[in-house]
Amino acid sequence: MADLPPSMPAPPPSAANGTPELSTLGRLSRITFSPRREEPFFLLLSIFIGIFSGLAVVCFRLAIDWTSLALLGPLPHSGALRLLGAPVVVGLLVAVLVRQVFPTIRGSGVNQTKAALYIYNGYIPLRSAVGKFICCALAIGSGQSLGPEDPSLQVGASIASALGRHLELSRERLRLLAPVGAAAGLAAAFNAPISAVLFVIEEVIGRWSAGILGAVVLAAVASVVIVRFFLGAEALFRIPVTAFVRPAELIAYTALGLVGGVACVLFAKGIGFLRPRLRALPGWTLYFQTAAAGLIIGLMGWLGAPQVMGAGYSFMDQAMHDQFTWKMLAILAALKILATTLSFSTGTPGGMFAPTLFVGAMLGGAVGGVERIFFPTLMGSTGTYALVGMGVLFAGFLRAPMTSVFMVLETSGNYAIILPVIVANTVAYVVSRSLQKTPILDLLTRQDGLVLPSLEEQRDEVILRVEDAMKPPPTVVLDADISIAEAEQRSQSLPHNVVLVQMQLGGWRSVSKADLARMVKEGKGDLTLGSVLPKQDLPYLYPDLSLDMALRHVNQVVLVPVVNRADLRKLEGVITRDDVLNRYQSADLMPEG
Amino acid sequence: MISVVEAAPVEQAPLAPRLSVVLIILTAISVAGFVLVSHLVTRYRANTKQIAWHLFQRGVADADAGNLVGALDEFRAALTYDPGNSQYQLSLARALRDSGRLSESQTYLLSLWERAPQDSTISLALARLAVRQHALDTAIRYYHNAIYGIWDRDADSNRRHTRLELIQFLLEENALPQAQAELLSLAQTLPPDPELHLQVAALFARAGDQPHALAEFRQVLHLDRRNHAALAGAGETAFQLRRYDLAQHFLKTAVETDSGDAPSQQLLGTVNLLLGSDPFRPRISDAERNRRLQAAFEQAGHRLQSCATSLELDLASPSANGLHDLSVQWNELKPKLRQLRSAGETDLPDIIMDLVSTIEQKTAQRCGPPKGMDLALSLISHQAEAE
Repeated sequence: MADLPPSMPAPPPSAANGTPELSTLGRLSRITFSPRREEPFFLLLSIFIGIFSGLAVVCFRLAIDWTSLALLGPLPHSGALRLLGAPVVVGLLVAVLVRQVFPTIRGSGVNQTKAALYIYNGYIPLRSAVGKFICCALAIGSGQSLGPEDPSLQVGASIASALGRHLELSRERLRLLAPVGAAAGLAAAFNAPISAVLFVIEEVIGRWSAGILGAVVLAAVASVVIVRFFLGAEALFRIPVTAFVRPAELIAYTALGLVGGVACVLFAKGIGFLRPRLRALPGWTLYFQTAAAGLIIGLMGWLGAPQVMGAGYSFMDQAMHDQFTWKMLAILAALKILATTLSFSTGTPGGMFAPTLFVGAMLGGAVGGVERIFFPTLMGSTGTYALVGMGVLFAGFLRAPMTSVFMVLETSGNYAIILPVIVANTVAYVVSRSLQKTPILDLLTRQDGLVLPSLEEQRDEVILRVEDAMKPPPTVVLDADISIAEAEQRSQSLPHNVVLVQMQLGGWRSVSKADLARMVKEGKGDLTLGSVLPKQDLPYLYPDLSLDMALRHVNQVVLVPVVNRADLRKLEGVITRDDVLNRYQSADLMPEG
Repeated sequence: MISVVEAAPVEQAPLAPRLSVVLIILTAISVAGFVLVSHLVTRYRANTKQIAWHLFQRGVADADAGNLVGALDEFRAALTYDPGNSQYQLSLARALRDSGRLSESQTYLLSLWERAPQDSTISLALARLAVRQHALDTAIRYYHNAIYGIWDRDADSNRRHTRLELIQFLLEENALPQAQAELLSLAQTLPPDPELHLQVAALFARAGDQPHALAEFRQVLHLDRRNHAALAGAGETAFQLRRYDLAQHFLKTAVETDSGDAPSQQLLGTVNLLLGSDPFRPRISDAERNRRLQAAFEQAGHRLQSCATSLELDLASPSANGLHDLSVQWNELKPKLRQLRSAGETDLPDIIMDLVSTIEQKTAQRCGPPKGMDLALSLISHQAEAE
């Protein structure tokens, strides 16, 4: 435990001593599944994970609302005592809870889920979920500038992990359950299943896999159904009437993407700068950092910007309906970046999704307002820019471009704005990538002392293929119906010790020059080559397959034929183990930067 | 090494039953969780609804006191705690509309309308919003939705008032044909209420549909024969329709019912003068006709002279442009007045009244609108031209 970063869970007891404790469910279900039965059971389990996650997220949202109501009152301008006192007092309490009771809940739930997937065999302690639930409800409810989505994601992952452990699932399945729960939690928090599935695939799992996709989708849908049953089917925002009329307006949205990209970089660099420095301060200061952040945020609220306190969804809604001037929107965006940087850097548990959307909505509205001053003929309303701005920040800050597009579409239900969203999000993503090489989630992981795979870097990695390592086809390929003596004679000129033989009915086999010489010497020179070859065909590869695939075969077969996908009798080249290794050694596999 | 997991199969129960037990347990946990969360949500909703109601009432009080900023905060907060409440949304939308935040108001109302397109209250609020935006077609559409939609109570009365509001809007927008069409629809469904008929009659008059206005005034008098407003209105309408006998009747009765009604008295005076001066009225003797022609001719001469005097012009001088020619004509015609007594002179009355009409028109252009006898002569001329 002492060797682990503070925000990461302790290893599971079963992994530590190798003797799993059997729970009731485990004793009942400890089954050696046949693959035919395991898959349906896994899918069924995903539905239950979705249900449990949905129920947990409903409770979580109620807890946040209750806390906020009790601490800050029902109206935004609730007086100095509440605005300044609540974040400070609750900040002290949360700090004590995080330091003394739930030390594993600091940091990002996304990264903790990734750590569970890649390091801890899918293990996320249920205590993390309980801690996240309590501390985040207190922190967000008292006005800390954080959101409930990331904790919901972790609560879902934690529930899934706990369920998987109790059912004694295989390590592979246990690993996959955490992302399934994460998708369920996030879908419930956003009330948006597609975005949640995409985010988990894009940022946590990092690959599309048929095996996991079905489970993730089922869990997300189940959790959203639960949330909608209890809390209603309304979207997070009332989306104003949006219309995209003229293609020339894409220039205006491109400008929004540029400004948003720069804001993302400032936001990320702020957290990247402040977080390690605050953590490096003496240990006793950690008890006061959350309260100090709360005091500053409370002051912002008291001085006229209570909108920056808490998740701020209702104020995003107002921004989308022209409730603020562009100057006020710009001020709110700047203050929210500052407030969230303080809240998150001090280790206050909570997520960055909602603040990111808040900053995006305010910044989008501000940019739209300024553009309309200079170009009054622009058709897009402030609400449209605010909506697109949300996607811009999501794409640029969290570096999830696909999710950002679908999130805007899913929360708006309006396909008319897809072009502005795609353009602005892409611009923001490119600007953010060029100015901030390391994505914020990877930066946080590295600050925690972990080396989790960077999924953005994985996407950028150069993929080596068979065609990059294979050699041209040999000049001589033997037919199976020639005599051994002729084969021996024709193979003399070849550089390899092994000669490829093309069978009459298709398929490839090989024979060594030494074997041919031996058979000639034994008087078998008149026999046909096909009659003496082994019965099993050689494995073959296609030029576009990854080099990793080739590695599976080159250890068993000296010379692997590479054939054309359209004509399996057409030889495109050959590949050996040395070819593969040489190519790996000469390759620069890291992405640029 | 054989793990514990691998060593255990001998003790395991058959596969299918154990899977079933797991599923039953998971289902039971789900149901228990469902019940628990339902209970929590129910309590939460009850509590937040109470908070929302309290905030809503504060908002209503603030809105009534003119504190729209405070009301907006409170309505919004109320909606945060009871998001689906149409009453709160409607109040917030109205407060937004009244504080000039029309687009946000529209968003709220449209979301309400999408949920209940048949709700007349929401349609009426949307119509009023469209009125603020001077969106004629949209306003008409939502007013019609409100008129033909569902009202919680007093449907007939609410429909009538909504149509009256629509008519007022159409008149303000000078959309007279649409206003007349709405008035005709409204008139057919009016209950026997003098006040309503009186209101509709006045609106008909504003819309320029005097015959229907007169019919509505008569309808009022049918219900309340001494209704002074209806008498005065009917008199004025009849006067505008040049039905001077009828106007005299209504105005006379109106003045009898309310002697302090100066406009009616004035109008009655004009009508009396007109009826007493009109040489073309049927059933008058030749002598009376000649007397009226002579009186009209003399009055026109006076009017011409007084107009020239007020303009400091000498009628004898040709520089008194326009009026000089009329003066010449008047002087040339004056000797012929004696011929009125001869039975053979049939064109002379028309010639006299043509000149009178021309003099009244010219002097009205140069010296302002006529009064008294001159007004009566002017109206007689118009009537003669119309016939």
